[in-house]
Amino acid sequence: MRRFGRQCRGMGKVLVTLVRQTETQLLEMGQQVLPLARAAQECLHGAPQLSQDQRARLDTQLAAALEAHHRIESQSRRLTQGKALGHCKIVNAYDPTIAPICKGKSNCPAQFGRTPGTVVEPAAGFIFALHLPLGNPSDASYVEPLVDHVEQAIARVGTRPTPAIHSLAGDLALNDAALRDALHARGILTVGIPRTVAPLPPSPLPEEVPRILSEAGVQDIRTPTQVHLAYACGYSRPVVESIIASLLCRGAARLTYQGHRGAIVQIGMAVMAHHAATLVRIHEYRLSKRARTFRRRLRLRCRKVNHCNASIN
Amino acid sequence: MPLLRYLQHWLTGRGPRLQVADFVPETHSLRQWADTFPWAALVAAVDRSFAQRFPKPTTRGRPPVSTRVLLALELLKQELACSDEQICSRLRTDLAVMYACGIVEVQVDGSQEHFVLPEVLAHFRSRLDAPLMAELLAIQAAMAMEDGLVSPAHLVVDTFPSEQGSQRVNDAATLYKAQKKSSRSSRP
Repeated sequence: MRRFGRQCRGMGKVLVTLVRQTETQLLEMGQQVLPLARAAQECLHGAPQLSQDQRARLDTQLAAALEAHHRIESQSRRLTQGKALGHCKIVNAYDPTIAPICKGKSNCPAQFGRTPGTVVEPAAGFIFALHLPLGNPSDASYVEPLVDHVEQAIARVGTRPTPAIHSLAGDLALNDAALRDALHARGILTVGIPRTVAPLPPSPLPEEVPRILSEAGVQDIRTPTQVHLAYACGYSRPVVESIIASLLCRGAARLTYQGHRGAIVQIGMAVMAHHAATLVRIHEYRLSKRARTFRRRLRLRCRKVNHCNASIN
Repeated sequence: MPLLRYLQHWLTGRGPRLQVADFVPETHSLRQWADTFPWAALVAAVDRSFAQRFPKPTTRGRPPVSTRVLLALELLKQELACSDEQICSRLRTDLAVMYACGIVEVQVDGSQEHFVLPEVLAHFRSRLDAPLMAELLAIQAAMAMEDGLVSPAHLVVDTFPSEQGSQRVNDAATLYKAQKKSSRSSRP
């Protein structure tokens, strides 16, 4: 509808009239669909030739189709009456979980699809977690589920000291006071999330460090060195773009699997394939100068990955 | 060799036994890529999840294709940007793909067309769900952290768009295209 309107600017009145007339005709034509579907459901319950499993499966499918019909009908009525839709609008009758991707676009046709969120280690590009919400929610709503996923992964680590999240960076879309408070409560620094469009400084002034720690309320668990590293690991568009490009070339650009579950499987597999490629790069030390510096400062090892896991095969 | 029991008639030919690892050099990119996965933990997680959600497989008939092979094929499909048919076809002819699928040795039978059918792969995929995928990702991340290769100390969050590949034609688009076409043809 958005694309429809934008490309036909100036013809809006004609098209709205056309859509309203078509709606009336279609509703008249489709009036019998609902009673027929209900009758089919009743027949299904009384069909002796079908097994219990078959009956249950067909019943579920019919109920899902009826539900989809109800949602599409109510959405269409809102549109023709000129009322705005929520972020979970249906754009594909066969897959109600697809949403228009409107974020970060300026006056161009909206794509239909999904917006996965990732939490990445910026040194080598290892993706720690993936989150794929329904619809098109704000970027800030991705952060807490992603941090939860990372903490679940950390809980599986058997070595000591247990790793921990020190800081989290992102673009201006994550600049939300409630989100900052939630992250501070978990002991995570948010200096990498900008407050304005101005670029972040590469390192803080020495006198600012105690203030940053006390503002976040993490002066007991985070050190000034960690604040300096958090600034250095702040949001960098080229780094993020390279990771996204790696995912896109592994099939995350176009979702071919059906439904929300299918999208999670497809992107999840792409992320796992990317993980393995990243570990190969780490093993061979094919890393940027920036990544090597970070790894040295984080005291990360460069082990023979092949030798570690050879016995598993 | 426990995997051999599950691999079907295509591993029981009459030709000479080939050691797959002997044919794939240690520096081969696919071999290095496959060696980074904690396969045992991943396969155990998949089997556990399937056992909880689906009925126990029957012991009658031919043994199923191993989870290790199917999981590796699904990952290879993304890594090599292949379709189901292409990756299943490569498993038949490409020794590096066999290595990545955990096949240690193979007995050649030239008349065999398929090792794994694409339908089997699609069926396996239909059983994967969101909690299982989250668990697999967590296992892989935890292993990398345990080996000291990555650290979650400083993280960056971002989103990216993923377009739906199979967009069906809708009424509005059809009407719009028809009108545009008619307005073009009516121009002098």
